[in-house]
Amino acid sequence: MADLDSINVEPFLKRYDIVMESKESPQDIASRMYPAEPALRKVAEDIVFLKNKNIEADVQAALSEFSPNEVIDGGLLRGIEIVSEIYDRGIYYLPHVMVAADGFDKGIKVAEKALAGERQVKGTVVMHAAEGDPHDIGKNIAAVLLKSNGYGVIDLGRDVAVDDVVKTVLDKRPDVLTGTALMTTTMSAFPRVAEKLQENGMELPFICAGGAVNRGYVESFPMGIYADKAAEGPRLVAKSMEGWDWRKIRENWDKLIRGEKGEE
Amino acid sequence: MATKKFKKMEYGSADEMVFGESKYPLSYGLGLKVGSGAVIPEINFAPRPGSEKTVESLRREYVDYITKDVLDRAVTLGFSSVQLENEWISQMGYNSETLAKPIVAGQKEMMRKYHDEYGIACAIRHTIADQREGDGGLRPGMDSRHNYPEKLLESLEVACKNGADVVSIESVGGKEIADYAVVRQDIKGWLFGIGYLGSLDMEWLWTQMVDVAKRNNVVPGGDTNCAGANTAMFMAGGYLDKDIPRTFSAVTRAIAAARTLVAIECGATGPDKDCGYEGVIVKAISGRPSAQEGKGAQCAHADLMGNLIAQACDLWSNESVEYHPEFGGSSVQCWLGVIGYEAALMTASKQMKTDKILRDTYVVSDRFRSPEAFILAYDNAYKIGQAIVEHGESYYLRAKAAGLKAAELIQESNDKGKLKLTKEEKDALSRVSADLRSLPDDEGKFVDWALKEYANVPAFNPKNYEL
Repeated sequence: MADLDSINVEPFLKRYDIVMESKESPQDIASRMYPAEPALRKVAEDIVFLKNKNIEADVQAALSEFSPNEVIDGGLLRGIEIVSEIYDRGIYYLPHVMVAADGFDKGIKVAEKALAGERQVKGTVVMHAAEGDPHDIGKNIAAVLLKSNGYGVIDLGRDVAVDDVVKTVLDKRPDVLTGTALMTTTMSAFPRVAEKLQENGMELPFICAGGAVNRGYVESFPMGIYADKAAEGPRLVAKSMEGWDWRKIRENWDKLIRGEKGEE
Repeated sequence: MATKKFKKMEYGSADEMVFGESKYPLSYGLGLKVGSGAVIPEINFAPRPGSEKTVESLRREYVDYITKDVLDRAVTLGFSSVQLENEWISQMGYNSETLAKPIVAGQKEMMRKYHDEYGIACAIRHTIADQREGDGGLRPGMDSRHNYPEKLLESLEVACKNGADVVSIESVGGKEIADYAVVRQDIKGWLFGIGYLGSLDMEWLWTQMVDVAKRNNVVPGGDTNCAGANTAMFMAGGYLDKDIPRTFSAVTRAIAAARTLVAIECGATGPDKDCGYEGVIVKAISGRPSAQEGKGAQCAHADLMGNLIAQACDLWSNESVEYHPEFGGSSVQCWLGVIGYEAALMTASKQMKTDKILRDTYVVSDRFRSPEAFILAYDNAYKIGQAIVEHGESYYLRAKAAGLKAAELIQESNDKGKLKLTKEEKDALSRVSADLRSLPDDEGKFVDWALKEYANVPAFNPKNYEL
């Protein structure tokens, strides 16, 4: 047997992941973004450094100084913003975001108990995995990212019948609908959803994503907005909340997602 | 259910393993021989969206277009043998008697025509759809909404009675826990989901798969942990991806091997499924033929071991490609060319007695491309296999041992300055090793702990596993 370890790999392999490793630490980035107030900073720190065991007590402590909305916006959501920044720079990985979101969930429950009414969400998103498709890990990741960015999520689950999606959208009148599919033969449910919504006079951005889904297909039916990764969800939904309709989001997709120059 | 668990390796050393040869070769289908001196191209495909609208349009897509195109190209290029794989789309699984039956029969009829006319050796694997859902129920009688467990068993009968030569599945037991764990980098949860629950579900499922296949003179091929370890591997991705550290996905792959082995322990004979990258570990233990996919599957996905994973394959696959036109013909024809020529190269090297040189060249070209490639290199895969058979009786202990061995191999190579890791990959490896080492040596204690720890995971129902 040859010595499999002795080969010089440099002529044919370059480890770009190591070349591009960030020199900045999460602490460096977080320290530039923390809120000034110590109690809120502690909440944000819990989120950023995944101290989920401390979060409930620290939110409770912050509530003795600040209103529930101030604790949510200045502590919990600021913590998630910092996590997103560290993730976007390629230092944190997805599990950091997911665990931070679990902490956010715990914290927000404490803060919401102190609210007089319901928490004001930025907007509502109905999410589903296509009829016949049992694969929903991408949808679940996207749901966590949207929730921790302040959106309300109605998660219909996986393998959801076209008619159930349409009925929910008509009943709940969300700001955005999302659908995911791993298989080319299940993504064909998406145009059927769009068609039935149009028949009922409903139009909204319909973000479609998943393994077999491609931009050309999604843009072949009305309302379809393509997303390549779950992390693109909050950016696309934010545009809907700014009043952009699906046509405008689609027209500006390259600029929004790829950062290319273009007119808004 | 009584299964025969592996307590020793079928191969005496890692070096004995090479592509195109297995300890237990097979002959099936229309003159096809697998694992006895040649590597066979295995072409997989998906119909175009919309073709599923009617029974006839789907039959035409699979039989008159895809199967005919494949066989025409195989004859055109002079390939002496080919295996087709039909991975059932969900609609076929949901309505197997009406939708799948004419396709299964039609594909076989078309293949027989080419076999009779040209003498091409060919066979077809049907990979039936496993659409079972944890919250709906994994066993018959539990899913009153969709009846997915019953539909799976109906699909098995339809495939075996109407033309399948090999039957396989990508089963989903334990996926609900693995999905939850993978996005939290929770290796203990992943071990529970795939190493333990997945193995229990495999035992239930494969006992029946083997029984029905054998009664119909069909080869019970094998499984893959596509639903778990491939999810981790594709999330880990390449050098621009940051979803899962690649050290984490490497350890999940080793754990998956202990679970995929269960099919063979239930009586499956191979060839296992191409997308089970853990197949090389399973082959080292069992000596059964293995299908693999790598550089010839770029139509379906990118991976970091395109050459290496060919090292010990018996069938060489393209994973799957949607049927559509390319400049060089239809997509299935083009990708058959890619895998068919590679298979011919491997087989020719056997004739020239240079196969082990080619094997080692494949391996060194990718050995340090990722931790997962490194642990799947045949020398390391063999060591992981040894860790599994040392703890053969306990699904939990052998899966844990596999994970620990993979972590140890990666650490050793990194310490020697060979396998390079990013800081996050190193940190993740330390956490994974510490987590696995912290677990009890007693299966019962682990299961008791895990049932409490993961009780609230969405879609998890212990009754699915008779717990």
